[in-house]
Amino acid sequence: MNNPHHLNPTSLKSRFTTRFLRALTKIRAQKPISSSSPTEIFRRYRRIKVAADKSMAYSVRSRRIWSRAMLWKLRSRSYRRQDPCSGRRSGKTNQAIMKKSSNENTTTRREDGVGFVEEADELRQLVPGGETMNLCNLLDETAHYIKCLTTQLFSPIGKG
Amino acid sequence: MESNAGTTETRSNVTVPDGGEVAAFESLQFTDEIHRLISAPGTDNASSFTALLELPATQVVELLHSPESVKLIVASAPNVEDFKGSFHFPSNTGLIQKDARFSVFSGEGNNKNEKSNSPEMTSKNSSANLEKAVKSEPAETVSSLPLVSDPTMENRNIKRKDREKKVKGSTKKSKTATNERLEDAEKLPYVHVRARRGQATDSHSLAERARREKINARMKLLQELVPGCNKISGTALVLDEIINHVQSLQRQVEFLSMRLATVNPRIDFNLDSLFTPESGSTMDGGNFPSLVTPLIWPDVQVNGYRKQFQHQWHFDTLKQPIWGREEVCNNYVTLENSLLSCDSSANSAATLHANQLKMEL
Repeated sequence: MNNPHHLNPTSLKSRFTTRFLRALTKIRAQKPISSSSPTEIFRRYRRIKVAADKSMAYSVRSRRIWSRAMLWKLRSRSYRRQDPCSGRRSGKTNQAIMKKSSNENTTTRREDGVGFVEEADELRQLVPGGETMNLCNLLDETAHYIKCLTTQLFSPIGKG
Repeated sequence: MESNAGTTETRSNVTVPDGGEVAAFESLQFTDEIHRLISAPGTDNASSFTALLELPATQVVELLHSPESVKLIVASAPNVEDFKGSFHFPSNTGLIQKDARFSVFSGEGNNKNEKSNSPEMTSKNSSANLEKAVKSEPAETVSSLPLVSDPTMENRNIKRKDREKKVKGSTKKSKTATNERLEDAEKLPYVHVRARRGQATDSHSLAERARREKINARMKLLQELVPGCNKISGTALVLDEIINHVQSLQRQVEFLSMRLATVNPRIDFNLDSLFTPESGSTMDGGNFPSLVTPLIWPDVQVNGYRKQFQHQWHFDTLKQPIWGREEVCNNYVTLENSLLSCDSSANSAATLHANQLKMEL
């Protein structure tokens, strides 16, 4: 059989699709079948969105700065949810949170010598983990991030 | 021999290209040297001018005076290795001009500076084309020759630099003097940065320029990725386009996940039958309905089957609720289409969906 979509079983698209489908079935299996209350739908939407981000980040692993940043964010969020008030946080999570906050607080305007700083800052906010990148890496990461987003959107899960 | 003495003198003068003290000698002696060299029959001394050209003296004179054959002069200088700075000779002598147009040529800057002052032994009608031709020639000859015209230049020359040709008189002669030293010394396996005429050449600006070139290359890649960016000129606008594109992609992902959330309850069993074949090991499958029949397939086939099932799923079940919604909300379609950049109808349907949900909430 020809695979019109999954040309390569180990390509980014197929990895993402596999993981996302698994996550989707988990989510769908969790909830009762026809609860169509708006809050339920909203909660499920959030979960699906997180699942999409997570599947994408896991498909890319740690090869990219933005995927690492996204994984950090997801893990720290899950830790915070689990122990909202406890002090028993893992050192790494603390470090991650501290590092992130310090980066965001102390990010001065990176005057790289090229003219576009405002746009670069805006791009940094869009791309996960962008605050810690210089312009050169930022453009690289943006390109890969766009590619991954389009993969997500055009995956055969019915997203595109 | 007198000519040999003259040649050695010339050689000693020319091989020390750095330092201005050479320059003073050059102007006085060069003309005499050239005449002497030309008059002398072709000696075997490798450093002699005529031997350099491997031509008899008469032909040398003829070459010198004919602008078109400058290329020959440049090309026929094979034994240049012996004569450190001499590979510049062919180009220089071919194109010596009255004013400072010489300064474009490669090699020892000071030599050239002074040689220009020497009376013209070539025709004065060397045109800019000639200069351009010869300029490219020395570049090629340099690359083929393992010459280092100046050890100090080598140290300074992290990146090889060329100069762009401007036929106007060199108003920035002082700056070009430093430029000339650095150019065409040696082709190193580093990043090659082209320094424009009159640009600063210290290492900081070199690094800056290399960075800028990298950034420009990446911007070009991004322009290709983002549709509609090729026509825009100006990096700030291109960046704005990229930002808009990334935002729209993220929004689309959100909308589609919203759609998945709403369509969810209707297609459970189809999905479950999809997934048991492909993920035999990882499913915590306690909640599957009894329709599921676990199948054991090799992975490749699983993918194929999954495609088929997904197609069915996609077209049969997913579209129906969306189309139902679309009938109701047709008047929103045009608005949403104008607002969003996405063009698939499914996306607009998803946005309608999302809007409806928001209204409900």
